[in-house]
Amino acid sequence: MIGVYKKELKAYFSTPTGYVFMGFFLLIAGFFFAISNLFPMVANYNGMLGNLTFIFLIVVPILTMRLLAEEMRQKTDVLLLTSPLSVGEMIIGKYFAAVTVFLITLLITCMYPVMMSFFGDIAVWEIIGGYVGFFLLGSTFIAIGLFISSLTDNQVIAAVVTFSVLLLLWVMDALQSVVPTDIVSGVVFASALVAAVAIWLYSAARNIYVSLVAAIAGGAVIAGLYIANKDIYTGFIGKVLAWFSLLNRYNEFSLGILSLSPIVYYITFSAAFVFLTIRNIEKKRWS
Amino acid sequence: MIEVQNVTKRYGQHVAVDHVSFTVNDGEILGFLGPNGAGKSTTMNIITGYISATEGTVKIDGIDILDQPEEAKKRIGYLPEFPPLYMDMTVAEYLDFVCDIRKVSSAERKQSLERIMDIVKIDDVKGRLIKNLSKGYKQRVGVAQAMIGNPQVLVLDEPTVGLDPRQIIEMRDLIKRLGKSHTIILSSHILPEVSAVCDRIIIINKGKIVAAGTPDNLSKHLGGGRLSLRVAAPEKQVVAALEQVPGIARVEPRGTFEPGTVDVVVDPDQEVDIRRPVFNALSRADCPILMMRPLDLSLEEIFMQVTTQESEVS
Ligand SMILES: Nc1ncnc2c1ncn2[C@@H]1O[C@H](COP(=O)(O)OP(=O)(O)O)[C@@H](O)[C@H]1O
Ligand SMILES: [Mg+2]
Repeated sequence: MIGVYKKELKAYFSTPTGYVFMGFFLLIAGFFFAISNLFPMVANYNGMLGNLTFIFLIVVPILTMRLLAEEMRQKTDVLLLTSPLSVGEMIIGKYFAAVTVFLITLLITCMYPVMMSFFGDIAVWEIIGGYVGFFLLGSTFIAIGLFISSLTDNQVIAAVVTFSVLLLLWVMDALQSVVPTDIVSGVVFASALVAAVAIWLYSAARNIYVSLVAAIAGGAVIAGLYIANKDIYTGFIGKVLAWFSLLNRYNEFSLGILSLSPIVYYITFSAAFVFLTIRNIEKKRWS
Repeated sequence: MIEVQNVTKRYGQHVAVDHVSFTVNDGEILGFLGPNGAGKSTTMNIITGYISATEGTVKIDGIDILDQPEEAKKRIGYLPEFPPLYMDMTVAEYLDFVCDIRKVSSAERKQSLERIMDIVKIDDVKGRLIKNLSKGYKQRVGVAQAMIGNPQVLVLDEPTVGLDPRQIIEMRDLIKRLGKSHTIILSSHILPEVSAVCDRIIIINKGKIVAAGTPDNLSKHLGGGRLSLRVAAPEKQVVAALEQVPGIARVEPRGTFEPGTVDVVVDPDQEVDIRRPVFNALSRADCPILMMRPLDLSLEEIFMQVTTQESEVS
């Protein structure tokens, strides 16, 4: 794992990728800092970080597009997969390398609040909380980008798809307040989710019975809940979207609150995508 | 050392490898011969654990590649059809990385790398970026990579493809030298390529083994005694003279390639040496032989034979 980690880290800086990522990130962050904190002399640093999250849309694809797509294009994946290294070690090494580049860049931006402290008092703990949240959010997006990079041997496709998926997450966030909240649309949405899971099961396992059983069980749960307490479906769509919303949880950090549950949420989400990536690479060899 | 049992690989409906079984003994160099698309790379990818077989098992030194992949993979070095090189690394950085992933301890590393670079002769380019190396050097770095971690088995997929004639000879010598201390499987679609270095050859076509044996056995059995002649006489006269010779099955004129001469190919009806009778017959008929050579069977011609008679030569 250490070997892959070191190699990946070096690769970021022996190709333009690492510099493009860092340069772009620092440039935009500096610009935001200048117009929202420095020139107006406003001390609300976390507000600036919150606005800055949109930057992930652009910089995460830069960081992750290469990770696996390029190995497959250059056919160097053979080297890794025929070595005594496990697929897990290889993927985790790559993930940590990308996260490290992100972390280093983020640490450089710490000089902005330090600069602010020269002009007056800053809310140190609040800012640290904001940074932890920003880091966790970025790391989760990197896990998503890593997974997408394992789906193709074309870096450009990996980048465009990653961008689109992240954009979708933003759109989902905005949709939360406008989706219908009535019971009927809640039930319809729940049924659609069950159908999607059943279809996914069929495409993954190629077993019609398994997916039929899943569909029927899901339908029974929906009906049961409806009979027991149909108010559950009020605002159901919004609740589901909110649960999956990575950005929602970030707001807590912005307030300087460091509670365990969003931290666990982000780490779980990242781990799930790293795991999916491992599964995807392993599955490829069986097809 | 290597046991391949009933290995089959299907891609959808397409069967790329079809119930292939063979064993490779300790210290042997096995040639894997077949035209493009025969299933050589697929078989090698399965042996090295890059992809999994649809059916069948592969054991390296008694260790199943799927049950204990890490143990089995430690014992194999693989040079795939496209050498897995990182173009943005220098040779030294690359080999160091391979040491990392093959878990070579840092104590052994320096000495082992020096030995390998010496054997494959890449010492002089170790500071260069891989993307700037010639094809021959890239291929040698590929071989060096396969040797890291001291695997007993080397699997080399078409190691001479794309090399110029001098590099091909160097690569052959290298493989012969490596064969003294390793068990090697080597694939190629060129017959002389494998017959020059291999102890034993397996011919594969459309995913199936169609013939197997030592190079001598195979060529005697399959290519035996065919001659190509260039004779300074009219075609009719040459053919008439040759048809008198007992033991000749077929005389096949090939046309004129030099003014006043004709080329013919002669097939003996059994595996007998017909060179003397041919010489005597033509000299009696006053047809001077300008050239006579045993005809190297092209792989395609061997295939014509082995796929029709499906033989096991031992
Ligand atoms: N990933 C794949 N998907 C579908 N078919 C494949 C794949 N890899 C190889 N094949 C098919 O399997 C057959 C054997 O290929 P290969 O092992 O590369 O042959 P060789 O190395 O002998 O030239 C070919 O017909 C090829 O088209
Ligand atoms: Mg091949």
